[in-house]
Amino acid sequence: MIAQYVWNGFVSGMILALPAIALTLVYGILKFPNFAFGAMMTAGAYIALVLNVNFGLSLLWSAALATIIFAMIAVVIDQTVFRQLRDRDSITLLVCSMGVSFVLENIARFIFGNAARSFDIAIARPKYLLGLKINNEQIITAIVALSAMAAIYFILRHTALGRAMRAIADNPSLAAVRGVRRENIICWTWVIAGGLTATAGVLAGMDRAIDPMLGWNYIVSTFAAAILGGLGNPVGAVVGALAVGIVEETSTLFIPPNYRQAISFLVIALLLLMRPQGLLGVATIKK
Amino acid sequence: MASYLVTILTLVAIISILGLALNLQWGLCGMVNFGLTGFFALGAYTAAIVGLSGAGTFAATLAAVVVCSLACGLVALVSLRLSEDYLAILTLGFGEVVRLVVLNEEWLTHGSLGLPGIPRPFWGLVSEDKYEYLFLGLLALVILGLFIALEMLLRSPFGRAIRAVREDDVVAATLGKNVLMLRVKVFALGGAIIGIAGSFHAFYMTYIDPSQFQMIVTAYVFMAVIAGGRGSNSGLLLGSVLLMVAIEGTRYLKDIFNVFDATQLSAIRLIMIGLGLILLLIFRPQGCLAEYSLKIKGRESKQRDIAVQTKTRAT
Repeated sequence: MIAQYVWNGFVSGMILALPAIALTLVYGILKFPNFAFGAMMTAGAYIALVLNVNFGLSLLWSAALATIIFAMIAVVIDQTVFRQLRDRDSITLLVCSMGVSFVLENIARFIFGNAARSFDIAIARPKYLLGLKINNEQIITAIVALSAMAAIYFILRHTALGRAMRAIADNPSLAAVRGVRRENIICWTWVIAGGLTATAGVLAGMDRAIDPMLGWNYIVSTFAAAILGGLGNPVGAVVGALAVGIVEETSTLFIPPNYRQAISFLVIALLLLMRPQGLLGVATIKK
Repeated sequence: MASYLVTILTLVAIISILGLALNLQWGLCGMVNFGLTGFFALGAYTAAIVGLSGAGTFAATLAAVVVCSLACGLVALVSLRLSEDYLAILTLGFGEVVRLVVLNEEWLTHGSLGLPGIPRPFWGLVSEDKYEYLFLGLLALVILGLFIALEMLLRSPFGRAIRAVREDDVVAATLGKNVLMLRVKVFALGGAIIGIAGSFHAFYMTYIDPSQFQMIVTAYVFMAVIAGGRGSNSGLLLGSVLLMVAIEGTRYLKDIFNVFDATQLSAIRLIMIGLGLILLLIFRPQGCLAEYSLKIKGRESKQRDIAVQTKTRAT
């Protein structure tokens, strides 16, 4: 019984991990918690929905195309909005990302209305393995999320881009002295962040219905995951996301399931009180 | 038309009170409150529940003030050792928790059905059709009181200390200021003001439900503060009037775009709010009016000193 909750929590942690990585990468480079990724997930899900339902592409192709399209949109948003605010403090950027979030969410609402929609996928019978009920969607989610994470890990560890991203996150002035082009790297960071959130949006849309508030339901949990892992630490974000997913899911054994996000809030509050640098973070936070 | 105007002004007044709170927390002390809607809802529901229990509207307001200021103080205390970013996330999370509690604890809040029949202050003092004016007058008095109190606070040693904390908390700490206590106090004080706003919202609406407390309220208040000029209370009042004119003006969009349905129109308005926020931050982050600054006052007092000296010399 517990194993079933842990498995469900693992899968929802997989969905959480993608925006948590995006959040943490953007935080590492631009040093602000991007509030808009909830709406970015929603936007990604709707793009895939249009490709899937209106253009009749298979969900896999729609998801892949939506990821690419939204990665480009993310760069456009950065160039038009966040680039104008590079030298401002993080709170200005945070408030600005709230504005971006309203715009994205309501473009979706304007076009599609408030009604919940779903992807055009065949409903499959769940499989049973060692007494665990495993949905088809859960397997797809786990595979997609794990491969995305592997790709991100490879990029960060073994490519010039990843080295540059880590260098800027670590010490921007030193990176600049060494000839790392910050604006270029910021662009690629948004490509990755946009792609990840859009993919997460599609996965979330498979998990529940797609409506303009889709991404909103993940905001507190994602922040909890990213803080748990130490903001700016991608591996930490994955671990944090899994922990948050599993804790939220198993907590429904004891408390009403509606309060799942409250559990995330408690996780953030307790963690900030006891270990402000995050579970895996190093103590670099000042104040 | 007059009653329409009174309604708009009442809404402006409630947003202004929230704005004064945010201006204190964020504008003066640099502590961003992203869970404004949540605290606002907390205040409104506290006032409604206490009011409905028959304790009277004054007790209801007082309860809302106490509850909100405690909640704000606690949230600030949790994030005391951290930078502003974390406070933003924490307040956001707290707002979500309030929303969940309001939606799910039906024995207390009636969930999404909402609480009807909230008593109003001074109800029955004047005839029913005049009551709106009385209420607006009451709100105006509250704003005036808060405005004067906050302006005095701003110019007091406490006000200078909190602005020092905003600019550089290390320097403030080095100068012997208890940064932690200052932060918690300011946030709790802001919470008290949000409690007032919440209770007046409940009294005015007489019916509250969760749909009235959405993230957009936070956006409105941030816009009012930024448009007016962060840190300036008089700017804030101007900002909230401008904001309400903009929001209410867009209601007439439906006459121009009569092809869209209600959902689409509200989406257009929210898109415009979002765009407005972004454009303000990019092009006019300092807002309309500047913050009260000691430099100008210093020059004035020097002139006054000279004037006094010449006067004494003359006598």
